[in-house]
Amino acid sequence: MLQGVLSRAPATDAPAAAAAAMKAKRAPASPDEEGDGEERPARGKRQQLLGLGSAAAAAAAAEGPETRGLRLLSLLLRCAEAVAMDQLTEARELLPEIAELASPFGSSPERVAAYFGDALCARVLSSYLGAYSPLALRPLAAAQSRRFAGAFQAYNALSPLVKFSHFTANQAILQALDGEDRLHVIDLDIMQGLQWPGLFHILASRPRKPRSLRITGLGASLDVLEATGRRLADFAASLGLPFEFHPIEGKIGHVADAAALLGPRHRQQQDEATVVHWMHHCLYDVTRSDLGTVRLLRSLRPKLITIVEQDLGHSGDFLGRFVEALHYYSALFDALGAGAGAAAEESAERHAVERQLLGAEIRNIVAVGGPKRTGEVRVERWGDELRRAGFRPVSLAGSPATQARLLLGMYPWKGYTLVEEDASLKLGWKDLSLITASAWEPTDAAAPTPRRGSQET
Amino acid sequence: MDEDFSSSSSSRQHFHSHGAAVQPPTSSVATAPTPPLSTSSTAAGAAHALFEPADLSFPPDLNLDFSSPASSSGGGAASSAAVGGGGGGRWASQLLLECARAVAARDSQRVQQLMWMLNELASPYGDVEQKLASYFLQGLFARLTASGPRTLRTLAAASDRNTSFDSTRRTALRFQELSPWSSFGHVAANGAILESFLEAAAASSEPQRFHILDLSNTFCTQWPTLLEALATRSADDTPHLSITTVVSAAPSAPTAAVQRVMREIGQRMEKFARLMGVPFSFRAVHHAGDLAELDLDALDLRDGGATTAVAVNCVNSLRGVVPGGARRRDAFTSSLRRLDPRVVTVVEEEADLVASDPDASEEGGDTEAAFLKVFGEGLRFFSAYMDSLEESFPKTSNERLALERGAGRAIVDLVSCPASESMERRETAAAWARRMRSAGFSPVAFSEDVADDVRSLLRRYREGWSMRDACLDDSAAGAGVFLAWKEQPLVWASAWRP
Repeated sequence: MLQGVLSRAPATDAPAAAAAAMKAKRAPASPDEEGDGEERPARGKRQQLLGLGSAAAAAAAAEGPETRGLRLLSLLLRCAEAVAMDQLTEARELLPEIAELASPFGSSPERVAAYFGDALCARVLSSYLGAYSPLALRPLAAAQSRRFAGAFQAYNALSPLVKFSHFTANQAILQALDGEDRLHVIDLDIMQGLQWPGLFHILASRPRKPRSLRITGLGASLDVLEATGRRLADFAASLGLPFEFHPIEGKIGHVADAAALLGPRHRQQQDEATVVHWMHHCLYDVTRSDLGTVRLLRSLRPKLITIVEQDLGHSGDFLGRFVEALHYYSALFDALGAGAGAAAEESAERHAVERQLLGAEIRNIVAVGGPKRTGEVRVERWGDELRRAGFRPVSLAGSPATQARLLLGMYPWKGYTLVEEDASLKLGWKDLSLITASAWEPTDAAAPTPRRGSQET
Repeated sequence: MDEDFSSSSSSRQHFHSHGAAVQPPTSSVATAPTPPLSTSSTAAGAAHALFEPADLSFPPDLNLDFSSPASSSGGGAASSAAVGGGGGGRWASQLLLECARAVAARDSQRVQQLMWMLNELASPYGDVEQKLASYFLQGLFARLTASGPRTLRTLAAASDRNTSFDSTRRTALRFQELSPWSSFGHVAANGAILESFLEAAAASSEPQRFHILDLSNTFCTQWPTLLEALATRSADDTPHLSITTVVSAAPSAPTAAVQRVMREIGQRMEKFARLMGVPFSFRAVHHAGDLAELDLDALDLRDGGATTAVAVNCVNSLRGVVPGGARRRDAFTSSLRRLDPRVVTVVEEEADLVASDPDASEEGGDTEAAFLKVFGEGLRFFSAYMDSLEESFPKTSNERLALERGAGRAIVDLVSCPASESMERRETAAAWARRMRSAGFSPVAFSEDVADDVRSLLRRYREGWSMRDACLDDSAAGAGVFLAWKEQPLVWASAWRP
């Protein structure tokens, strides 16, 4: 939606457009459009965005869905500003209008606005309540996990983001594994373990199967973890792979030390290769302590770390975060809108994904404290943090990049872009990067010693 | 450091300094897992914060079931499918009732904790439990901040601005396609009206004129079927039928739009009547607000002819008469009696949403006890309503969303606005029947034919709907029928004569 505004805006620059619009005849104004433009303090690029939004809305003589989208944009920004300035009464006045114009079953601007509007509503209420932390509760965690699982599967079908994350990470792992027989994967947030069957498949079809394969998975609910473990074990057995699963209920930031993570089965002498994997999202707090996690990774010194991050900043003030998230999710909803057909079943699937996954993320981002919703110091770009902690990037050019391109080619919808930048791979929608996949190894890692003597071809 | 926490805590300092525009930054880097909130306590009159900031946790005494609802028609779920929920965990009702109790008991710590939980779990776009949580939470919040009427006005204004009269009509039509909620009353009422008119025609040798005073908001969707039946079942010449429909659109709805739509509806009906060979005339009267203020005599229902048989059709209109002192609802039913109609059909939604004595003064209607009672009843009723909507409409329906929002406004009204101004205060069938009796009416039982019509209507819709007789009290034989969803009676239809 925002992209739409910016690309359809007249060629003149924003301030000039705003000035012109002020002179232009205003569209039938509703009560809440009266002269509040003057009171709003200027704030660099935000003012530009706001000026464009309200100017566009005011000058909207044309009928149609564009007007609605622009009006929603303007209202959302004004509401977010009110929240940022603690003017909650004003924010409350705007929310019903946003809700009426928005709809989770409409065009992509209307759908995005529905979730951002609802998130603002929840935030206003939590400000009045003075209670900000997320609700953490075991029976809920299990029900939530199941909902997320279903939605993830639908998401997997509707967009290449999930598969991209899986394929690139698995390819990077495979490359790093060259020559290793014993593999231990630590998945910091395993959920249903959707990623790993793909890796099992590749491992099973190599001429030489691994001698041992372990996965340690972290998650909020032991029940869900054990179910995941059973499923993975069954699949591994069907492929003839030796497999062990180790569940850890809890968050990685709480794990005491590397030994606890590696478990008693780890035997350094036999060169078990440890790989840490983490696919980011904003559904809930995964680490509990980002800095603790970095410390742990440093002491663990895994052979490889694979990370998939969302290209969404979470630092800075509320309003900055809000605007950036609005831009990001507008692109994502556009992408989903382009993918799903108008058929009732598909739009029901898309709705489930948007409501249960993306809507939940939006809620967390808009909530007090941002996606982690704690007062913790947050790592902004994990790449930078890992570099500081003694890791260096492993290039994903070559096989991972090729796999990614093939994957994108499989999807019928145009619009997704793949960029190789530094050593990482970025998947985006049109000109906006959505996720970045990267891989890391310890800076002082030796070149892999080829153990030709013990290998057979 | 995340500014959000500094802004939320410093907002309390903000209130103390009364109007400082800038948020002073808080102190240090937070290392504790809980947000670094300031320790100064909130002034009782602080503008926003209702409570002391708190680090809340799940209360151990609540045993909530978050399992997903069972599939429709009650599936095989062991949990109680009977009470309007989907058969799965009904955590929203549990939490909401606990919260209402805490509000009534002024247990602010408990209220804070429960509203926090509800806020985390609620969504107007989620499953039925999440929707209920969202709309009732909105009502509770309006109540706590003493902003009920204002919230309701804002919600209504937003809706009026963005929904045309015509799109409301389309939503109503779609609703009738997918749910018997409104067509149930139409079929029963039409049956009673038709039988009464035909009786009148048979008893007289003179040509009859019929006039229906239609007090409903269903865009005249009730009448085509009646016109057709009248044409089919009249003995010789079809009697002349007039319909005066009173449209009570929202006060802010643009009159021109309302008039245009009603004119179109009227033209379509006139054309249909011509096709059916029924002499017909139609009139739409616009009346904003409370029906009790409508001057019934000025409507001139008898066109100057004393032999006109008058029927009054009240569909969800009696509850629109605002309760509150001076026995307004009784006065209204008496005024209907004064019209000397042959038959009055009453269709109302079954819920006890008035205080103990609906004719008591304003203050009596808004006590904490009254609040709790209305809250619980409202929760029961709207749970069933929303549940039936969820199962009747497709998942991605904007019409269902519009209906849910309408329910949301009714909920804000019931939970946070004074009873004396409310047009949502439904009464039970038994209570309405008492009123009709004291106004000088006695019930007319629906004939077996009408019952058959209703039953075949219900067969056109999803499973879950049923009809049952209203056995209201010992002397109430045949005072109407109920439409029930999953065994719960929700809509009442009845017929009365002087």
